[in-house]
Amino acid sequence: MMLRASSSVNDMEVDLNAIQGEAIDSSAVVAASALANLVDASVNNLENLDAARAELVDATDEATLVDAAAVIANFEMMTRIADGTGTRHTSDRMESMADITTAMGLHDFISARR
Amino acid sequence: MTTTPGALIKSSHNSSSVSVRADLTSAHIEVWEALASPGTWWTGHERLAIAQIIRIAIEEEQPVPPWESASSLGRLTETGPLSAELQDAIYRLAAHAGTLTEDWYSRLRDATAITPEQWVEVIEIAASVVSVLRFAEVLGLEKPDFPPAIGGEPSRKTQPSKPAKHHWVPVVHLEEMTEELAPYYQGLTILPPVVRALSSVPSAMAALFLLSSAQYIPMQEMADLNWSRGTLSRRQIEFVAGRLSAHRECFY
Repeated sequence: MMLRASSSVNDMEVDLNAIQGEAIDSSAVVAASALANLVDASVNNLENLDAARAELVDATDEATLVDAAAVIANFEMMTRIADGTGTRHTSDRMESMADITTAMGLHDFISARR
Repeated sequence: MTTTPGALIKSSHNSSSVSVRADLTSAHIEVWEALASPGTWWTGHERLAIAQIIRIAIEEEQPVPPWESASSLGRLTETGPLSAELQDAIYRLAAHAGTLTEDWYSRLRDATAITPEQWVEVIEIAASVVSVLRFAEVLGLEKPDFPPAIGGEPSRKTQPSKPAKHHWVPVVHLEEMTEELAPYYQGLTILPPVVRALSSVPSAMAALFLLSSAQYIPMQEMADLNWSRGTLSRRQIEFVAGRLSAHRECFY
């Protein structure tokens, strides 16, 4: 969510495929694969969490693991706030995000049909 | 055995060899203290009943589908004074937030007579519980129990909230900022809708700002796109945030 807010006001290049699909390490997002595996395990496969934690510590360090877990927790919170209150973007924000929402197929989400 | 909120969170954060930042521990203690205390519209006992449903919903390996009633299926027990319809709504918020619609919200209000402000406080509780429990789970820590309820009545303090264009719930607009909202509104010329969403209940705003600052980025640093704690870069932070939000099918 805040990803789009921040990325739209700077020249931060975001690989949209990496957000939803296979994440490949790059200079843009260091340790993307290990970070993606931690997120994916936390949502879809708790049995893989031990391995995902170890992979991220190998790629970075323990303090980075703690901060990644905190960001995951934060966006577990933000998704409930946004969807529980029916929060919508402003129309000018929707226009500025049109390419991103189309590319990521976000209009297919039930939460887009408010 | 001690069951103070601080002891419960510290026990969780010290349950592995991983070192948890002190500001994260402080933030989680603060919301755990508020969890069991009388809120703005719910008593401590009611707030814990809401928290218990959220815990059940996020800890189930196979959550009840959004079109089914968790209470009718016997999945919610010991949830106290809440009606079955409200229990199901809280369960769905926690387990399937991405499926909620404005029609669903209208039907919830008709069926339960819950006020928008009471619903916002439910969301505040969800925010606290998912933050603390999911952080522990992802990091492999022991998940803390809930503290015992503290007696007393809710404050029932109202805010000048009004129907909103970008939310189902009413919000307090920037030009009608109150003393309670000043810490979150002051100095701003515009408020992102997701930040404004909880403004009808200032304690919910407090929880959001406290948790976001510790778990994500301090509010005052939000505009600095190179900000980092020295661990994750801003790009990495946003990558994790975006991937999690996509998993949860959160359009916003």
